[in-house]
Amino acid sequence: MATLHLLSHSPFSDGRLASCLRLLCAGDALLLCGDSVYALQSGSDHRKALESIPDSVALYALDEDLAARRLDALPARLLPVDYAGFVELCCRYERTNSWL
Amino acid sequence: MSCSFERCLMKFAIALFSPAHSPASRRALRFAEAALAGGHEIVRLFLYQDGVHSASANIVAPQDELGVAGQWSRFIRDNRLDGVVCIAAGLRRGVLDEQEAARHQRPAANLSAGWELSGLGQLHEASQNADRLICFGGH
Amino acid sequence: MARSMLVITRQSPWSGPTAREALDIVLAGGAFDLPLGLLFLDDGVFQLMSGQHAARLQQKDLTANLQALPMFGIESVFASRRSLSERRLDEASLALPVELLDDAELGSLINRYDQVITL
Repeated sequence: MATLHLLSHSPFSDGRLASCLRLLCAGDALLLCGDSVYALQSGSDHRKALESIPDSVALYALDEDLAARRLDALPARLLPVDYAGFVELCCRYERTNSWL
Repeated sequence: MSCSFERCLMKFAIALFSPAHSPASRRALRFAEAALAGGHEIVRLFLYQDGVHSASANIVAPQDELGVAGQWSRFIRDNRLDGVVCIAAGLRRGVLDEQEAARHQRPAANLSAGWELSGLGQLHEASQNADRLICFGGH
Repeated sequence: MARSMLVITRQSPWSGPTAREALDIVLAGGAFDLPLGLLFLDDGVFQLMSGQHAARLQQKDLTANLQALPMFGIESVFASRRSLSERRLDEASLALPVELLDDAELGSLINRYDQVITL
């Protein structure tokens, strides 16, 4: 009964990522879209927080948002997805919780 | 939901809470296109909060930007989808059809073709009929 | 069997229509006898403070609507203990009865519902 959490706000100016991280369960997943991919900035506290998420939580990011922002040095555990992959994730997880 | 040997096909209800100029609106549209391309069904598109602006016929996107509102309208029409705009959210934000513009004596109706004003019950009905409810909003 | 929905409300009552529009989703679902839950999280817990004066901001007071939730069949009302504590809100003097949950319990709560909308 796992949840795919969807984020799209930059964590540098918004508390949604922090709130989301506090209530993740084993088996849940996080999909970073839009400015939330800035959480992957190397060396940032948000990057460290993402890297500290238990291995039982999968970490995804929308590939177009990574490419547009030219983010590199991504964590090995991060799985970029395109829109077909995004749809597949929504099928795989029982529910999607978008942090609007 | 229907499952074949390879994978499951799902019924999606998609709710959008952001206006056409928000990245979330474009993202929702790209997702919806991918869902159909993957053989899935979209039972309803529901616009709520500032998402009602994604159904405005009055938007004039800058020439060097994507006209997402127009793309939504065409997408719904081309795929014969059920596009619903929450009437309470629409009224609050000035997205009206002819009937509501007349009822409230407003100078213009601006609901884009393909969309229909209705109540929140339509969001719940779609959620009940779909396998998955996916919300897009924020940025 | 009807699918259940959890609405997570994260905004204060004074930051725009979101608090009201989140509640409207809940009330609409209640009117159709759907199984719904409502969770107050982050600044959403400010909706639970008693004795607020909406009229000073020329706004509608949502407190009466929140207190009417049971009449719409909405009995599952929760709040984040952390969100209350961060904002120094007294658990004992909230405007309506809520079940307080810790962070770990919030994750489990979400996973008990078929769908979730977080506003």
